Amino acid sequence: MAEVFEVTDEVKAQYGVEGPPWTYEATTTSIRMYARGIGSVDPIHYDVDFAKSQGFRSIVAPLGYIGTPTFHPDTNDGTFGFPRRAGGGARLNLPTKGLLDGGTETEYLDYICAGDMLVETSSLADVRVRGNMVFVTNEAVYKNQESGKVVAKQRLTSIHIG
Amino acid sequence: MSQVFFEDVAEGLEIPELKKNCSTQQLVLWAAGSGDFYQIHYDKDFAQGTGLPGLIVHGALKHAFLGQLVHDWMGPKGELRKFGCSYRGMDYPNEDIRCRGVVTKKYTENGKNFVELDIWTENPAGKKTSPGTATVALPSKN
Repeated sequence: MAEVFEVTDEVKAQYGVEGPPWTYEATTTSIRMYARGIGSVDPIHYDVDFAKSQGFRSIVAPLGYIGTPTFHPDTNDGTFGFPRRAGGGARLNLPTKGLLDGGTETEYLDYICAGDMLVETSSLADVRVRGNMVFVTNEAVYKNQESGKVVAKQRLTSIHIG
Repeated sequence: MSQVFFEDVAEGLEIPELKKNCSTQQLVLWAAGSGDFYQIHYDKDFAQGTGLPGLIVHGALKHAFLGQLVHDWMGPKGELRKFGCSYRGMDYPNEDIRCRGVVTKKYTENGKNFVELDIWTENPAGKKTSPGTATVALPSKN
């Protein structure tokens, strides 16, 4: 039986190739919405005055939330919100029968607070095929737009089913 | 929120469990917060059309639950450095998701006190559906 996807030298050549940067934003509204979504009751995610009293610039993003990609209907995916970047980065013809999350790893180098604008760059890190499933791992780096400091890194694995 | 200190922690310590049970409303709330509106999390017909038994909980939501587990435990002066998990099994709306963690290592490096943990979500059958790890820096009493 033919593989649902072949990890060719052409695919491997795309490992580490950065796509164009994209801006992510963390706002008071988006942080509160995310915190509601996980069911947190910690005021650090909701109450600006409380967060400032604890030494933060504003309310603090819950762990796992690294801002929302800026959205425009012409440039972002309508279902997932992620940017469809023009030029650079990996282009893979992946199977489309199903799509699942495979895993998420997040490394923090600083807190993310409301008002932060982040610049994200990402690259393809790994592609593996197991049966009818293709595991695609991307690495993303997030820098604070104002300070230029790296605030977080993520490895995200998606499973594409053929 | 209470504060846990490095001296309070020993290898093998199980941290307080965080229990979740997602309504479909919560899945929609999180979709709005994350921007992930994949229909397998709120449209049962769509989900079944992809071969799933029904709606499933977002993997990245379980990652965030594990973030909350560690956040709630380590207290305001704790600093999470790294955490992650893989999604090895599906969890479903209206079923308990037990978020658990156990300390596997503690050490001091460059003046910082680090604690490593195994963390995971567990379904009602006791299966670890999202096993992972976390590294946090904790304050000292000294």
